[in-house]
Amino acid sequence: MMKLRPFRLSVLGLSLLIPAALCAVVLFLLIYSFPAIRFSGFGFLTDINWNFGDFDDDPVMTRGMLVPGGANYGILVFIAGTLLSSFIAIVIAVPLSVGAAIFLSEAVPPKIRPALSMLVELVAVVPSIVFGLWGIWVLIPFIGHYLSPTGNGYGLLAASVVLALMITPIIATTLLDALLQVPKENRESAFALGATHFEVVSKAMMPMVRATLIGGIVLALGRALGETMAVAMVSGGGFNILPTSIFSPISSIASFIVNNLDSAEGDPTNMSVRAIAEVALILFLITLAVNAAAKILSSGAFHVRKRQQ
Amino acid sequence: MKYSPKFCRSGVAALAIAGLVAFTGTAKAQVDVPLVESGSSLLYPLFNLWVQSYQADNPNADITTTSTGSGAGIAQAIKGLINIGASDAYLSDSIVKEHPTMLSIPLAISAQAINYNLPGVSSLNLSGPILAGIYTGKITQWNDPAIAAANPGVSLPAHVIIPVHRLDGSGDTFIFSQYLSASDADWASTLKYGTTISWPAISGEIGAKGNAGMLAAAAANPYSVAYIGVSYADKVAAAGLGTAALLDADGQYVLPTQANIAAAAASVENSTPPDERISMIFAHGANAYPIVNYEYAIVDSNQQASAVAEAIRAFLTYSTTEGNNASFLNQVHFLPLPPAVQALTAAQIAKIQ
Repeated sequence: MMKLRPFRLSVLGLSLLIPAALCAVVLFLLIYSFPAIRFSGFGFLTDINWNFGDFDDDPVMTRGMLVPGGANYGILVFIAGTLLSSFIAIVIAVPLSVGAAIFLSEAVPPKIRPALSMLVELVAVVPSIVFGLWGIWVLIPFIGHYLSPTGNGYGLLAASVVLALMITPIIATTLLDALLQVPKENRESAFALGATHFEVVSKAMMPMVRATLIGGIVLALGRALGETMAVAMVSGGGFNILPTSIFSPISSIASFIVNNLDSAEGDPTNMSVRAIAEVALILFLITLAVNAAAKILSSGAFHVRKRQQ
Repeated sequence: MKYSPKFCRSGVAALAIAGLVAFTGTAKAQVDVPLVESGSSLLYPLFNLWVQSYQADNPNADITTTSTGSGAGIAQAIKGLINIGASDAYLSDSIVKEHPTMLSIPLAISAQAINYNLPGVSSLNLSGPILAGIYTGKITQWNDPAIAAANPGVSLPAHVIIPVHRLDGSGDTFIFSQYLSASDADWASTLKYGTTISWPAISGEIGAKGNAGMLAAAAANPYSVAYIGVSYADKVAAAGLGTAALLDADGQYVLPTQANIAAAAASVENSTPPDERISMIFAHGANAYPIVNYEYAIVDSNQQASAVAEAIRAFLTYSTTEGNNASFLNQVHFLPLPPAVQALTAAQIAKIQ
């Protein structure tokens, strides 16, 4: 049994603050949104129609609760928008970042590698609003002119491309670090066996960093799922309609929350704000699931480093 | 480094002078209670103009302005978190019933334009029923017979209409949906009005964020139609978008010019009730533009401290008198309150105690 010295005790207290804060947030969301959970039931997740209802008229009793007339809360459209845009962003970003990481670790002279990898890292710190503006002024007219059959550039594709750009450096830098840590012996013995450069990378190095790559992807997915501003600016704000093609307008959960909290506050029964709290709870559960998956998938993520020691 | 005695002495003298100035300043200024204004993003630029000039006259006045959206402005004013809530819409009946001390005080007059991006068409007539048809997906083509009937002699393209709406909660959506409710019985009974509408699913429609996003979306998408506050008139013109003439209550097509907005305001001037909660949608009168609204300050008449009440009264009085001068309002394309409404507003401001 460890002795609890004052130092250890104080550090323990500080470290417990973080999980305590997390639990407090979740507990608050759960308690606050409970009436909305009772009101909507499971339909909250499967219904595609969201309607705040009529705030001006007197609230009506629906399913035993006082809500604005016509109120209906269904977030399937927003769940679909969030998952689809993040998934397509990953599909675009993975080949880009794998290519970039391999280029930086294999094809670039070590002397200029830091400068180039810093450029990649720089993309990661660009504020999301800047990506959103680029999306509005450059990407959307491009998609509208050359790709979209309707001439409308806003939608799933625009949101996915903007997200892909934002998460590419996350995956690329994670992967680059791992590639640089692959022991020299492994590379050189593969070369000694007569492998081509491509074979060395694809057969000797990539298998060693697979776990890190998966970890990086899930990290990026977490960022994409929660992104608010850039998505709101280019997604086309799909409402009450599921996307039917990559040019359909979508809404992500995070951008829906930030854009409609203001309207919800006009609800005299307060049920709208509780419903939005429930939306936040769902977003939290989705990101939690993604992170849990990350932990499982990348449990061997650091075996490269360990073997080196 | 050590300060020389001479430097110290001049420093003391400077402090004394500063103290004297500050003292006379306090004596002259009527208010020195910190006030917080929050709410409508449409009113925010105007509040900043007012506060800047008000503080130049009253150096001790301390007013913070923030842009959070009309809904937040109303909610926070009711909870007493802020002193002045700014809103594009007046308080609803249900809120007034629940919080009878809350006042809706008009500060200025605004209007909303219907803008379009239609290559080859330089003037366009639209009406409430046509727009309700477009935004519910019943009218999908620009050469629809209903639009053609409103535009004799205009060759309309056979192209799908792209309706643009706000994806964020907005006073603009409130006013626009109020206009559509007044135009179309179906809309009035199903979608009604509010800062967020449960937009009918139309393939090809666009949700855009903020007035700036509406402008960008309409500019980037030929064959689109959008509703944008008149404060954006200069930028709308610069982007090459057209402004539609709307069918007014008397069967005329009118543009949102200053004169036509003023005509609408004038016709409601004498029918505005003492609590000033009235819609100016489809105001009667010659050339009265149909989508006009008061911009409101949402204030609790029952203040905790009389000093705070006095500070609010002083600032709102300034906003609705001197602050209604063209030098302020022209910068945001708002119009001043007509004299009778100004009197009602003054009476409401006097209630803040």
